[in-house]
Amino acid sequence: MATTYLTLANEALRELNEVTLTASNFSSAVGIQAFVKEATNRALNDIANQEPQLPFFAVAASGGTDPFYGNVTVETVAGTRWYLLKAGSSSITTDYASIDWDDFYITTIGVSGESAPFVSRGLKFMSLSDWRRYRRDRENADDADTQNHGEPRYIIRSPDHRKFGLSPIPDKAYNVHFYAYAKPTELSAYDDAIALPDQYASVVLARIRYYVHQFKENIQQAAFALDDYKKGMRNMKSNLINPQPKNMTDDRIYF
Amino acid sequence: MAASQPFSVALQGGLDKASNALELLKTPGKATTLTNFEVSTKGGYRRINGYSQFGNGTRPNSSNDILGLKVYADGVVACSGTNIYFSQTGNSWLQINKASVSGSGDNHTAFTGRSASARTSQSKAHFAIFEGDTEYGELIITDEGSGAKPFYFKMTGTDSDITNRTFFAKEITVSGTHFPKFCVIHDKHLVVAGAATAKNTIFYSGTSDIDDFTSSGSGSIVLDDQVVGLKSFRDELFIFCRNSIYKLQNINNASTIAIVPVTKNVGCVDGKTIQEFAGDLIFLAPDGFRTVAGTARIGDVELGTISKSIQPILNSIFDSTIVQEYSSVVIRDKSQYRMYYSSSTASTASSKGIIGTLTSRGFEWSEIEGIQAPAVTSGFNASDIEKAFHGDRDGYVYNHDTGNSFNPAGSETNIHARYQSPDFDYGDFGTLKTLDHVKVSLFPEGTIEPKLKVRFDYDSADRPQPADLTINAQAPSIFGDSGTLFGTSIFGAPEQPLVRNTLIGSGHSNFFNIFSNDVKAPYTINGLYINYRPSGRQ
Repeated sequence: MATTYLTLANEALRELNEVTLTASNFSSAVGIQAFVKEATNRALNDIANQEPQLPFFAVAASGGTDPFYGNVTVETVAGTRWYLLKAGSSSITTDYASIDWDDFYITTIGVSGESAPFVSRGLKFMSLSDWRRYRRDRENADDADTQNHGEPRYIIRSPDHRKFGLSPIPDKAYNVHFYAYAKPTELSAYDDAIALPDQYASVVLARIRYYVHQFKENIQQAAFALDDYKKGMRNMKSNLINPQPKNMTDDRIYF
Repeated sequence: MAASQPFSVALQGGLDKASNALELLKTPGKATTLTNFEVSTKGGYRRINGYSQFGNGTRPNSSNDILGLKVYADGVVACSGTNIYFSQTGNSWLQINKASVSGSGDNHTAFTGRSASARTSQSKAHFAIFEGDTEYGELIITDEGSGAKPFYFKMTGTDSDITNRTFFAKEITVSGTHFPKFCVIHDKHLVVAGAATAKNTIFYSGTSDIDDFTSSGSGSIVLDDQVVGLKSFRDELFIFCRNSIYKLQNINNASTIAIVPVTKNVGCVDGKTIQEFAGDLIFLAPDGFRTVAGTARIGDVELGTISKSIQPILNSIFDSTIVQEYSSVVIRDKSQYRMYYSSSTASTASSKGIIGTLTSRGFEWSEIEGIQAPAVTSGFNASDIEKAFHGDRDGYVYNHDTGNSFNPAGSETNIHARYQSPDFDYGDFGTLKTLDHVKVSLFPEGTIEPKLKVRFDYDSADRPQPADLTINAQAPSIFGDSGTLFGTSIFGAPEQPLVRNTLIGSGHSNFFNIFSNDVKAPYTINGLYINYRPSGRQ
């Protein structure tokens, strides 16, 4: 069972020798107890900001559309370049926290009406400046004239970070699979569970201690807590982001 | 982590209801609540003893109120209903208000066969003992009903079997129409006063002739004010009136006998509150407890009271529309003055009292709750053992100040004792302090389990407060103590342990509340040692 908001807050309070909270008084906490609650959400945000692509922040399990391992799928429309990364999101505050821009995949597999031979390839990320310099004018002219469009080969990011664009503009429907990471959900109720496995709850705790010791003007303890937090983040990153065997990759095949 | 710092407090000063919160920061040893604790002459605050039924709980006169008690001979005299009783053991009571008793005394059989001399309209009784040359002295009883003459009783014979003793009893005529309420023996005279028909007149008997108000040396004096109490003190008789105090001098010299005013600005609330204690007379004045010696010394204005620290409690008594009935007693071996008060309809649980203990720092005070004592007495019996008794409005007589529990009507009841310290700011109110632990210095008189409550920032609702803790302490086994039994007592237990309790929570200040609500042994809280860590100024 994942660590709950109440458990985490009380661990921090116990470590500080403060009165712990209960399920009944959790929502009405005041003073240092309320501060610990706030520090808990702040600590989770700090972790997410520092390493937004930790696996437990993934918006969904990978492989939802087997055999593709992306956790988000967007179906393109012929003649449309730009697509919201998160369908239905009204603003950047509700968008995904992070996108793996190096891992977009386009395919006609699974698209209604398509049959073999299928299109199935990775999309190369192209910076907006490169796209503007080399491809935008030609694609816009085609779109305004013959509308031949084409099979997308590049993925571009909109300046507001809310959309991805395809270049060339799709000539038909494709499925674009990619990997997205969500913002951490703010904890509210006492039994809300944190996204992190219990094993890493101590990292959150270290960050909470950092804030609370600062609050109590205990700089030395805050420094110790910060050190604990940094070590915890290092270990977490090592364990969760780079656990694969170390090897060298030459990706010149794309050029 | 900030270095932990110590803070120790020796509990002394007693209850302080008059100082404000900031003033109390300077006197952490005082208490803001001290109920059913007494200030110990050895230091600290001791949970009071309980009370037990006298004998097997037989009541002198059914459910009639106990109106007065007096330690006499080897037992106690009790006034109840329209009668007066005597008992050695509390298992049976001998009615002593008998009429037509022989002048040379009755034996037990004759005495018990005499008709009753009814104490018409008997109310709160007052007693005086003329020691004389008899074994037990001669006992005079008056009462505030003012419906009967002063009653005289004497018992002779040292046989422990009361049936082998001789009894003398009669009414004393002061005047055909005056039935005084108050009595006192002063310098070979019986002095009485306060009759409903002569409220401001004192009468004194003949010299060494306490039952005759016409013989040589007798007389009467009319005062300006109504008498509410009499007390012989050193070579003077103090006459407490409603709004003034006088003293009678030279009672044995007809040419120089005089009434001298002590003060005309201060009176006595109730004669039942007057006690001779620690070389002074203490009484309840309308503005608090005062001592007569102090009053006489200072003059008649700006009289120093001894109870300023509990003035709010006294004000609440005086300001109440409920008429209180008072009684008082001195517990000599504890240097204590106790005043009990309750309305005539108050339950035992709601009846209260005030304890004043004379320490090297002066009077220190605490409260009592749960003892209904409209009549209370203490004194040395024929064996020179100090005995204390009290009686209630259900007609029971109890051994006062003994045992581990209250026993109203024989039903064992918890003693709910509460001590609360002032808020401690540890020297700086602005700094947040996180508490580490407290060591409570105790003197348990048996196995005890009081609770410890810590509250931060004046029990602020804006700060979560920690749960109560239990203080466990074993009874020490003291070599030579009769209660120390092999196989029962725990040897090696310290006599005055420091019981450590880990604390949680932080605040700018906090108070400690130690309370018990049980029938376990008394204990004394000597002091507190607190370890805390300054935690910023947030």
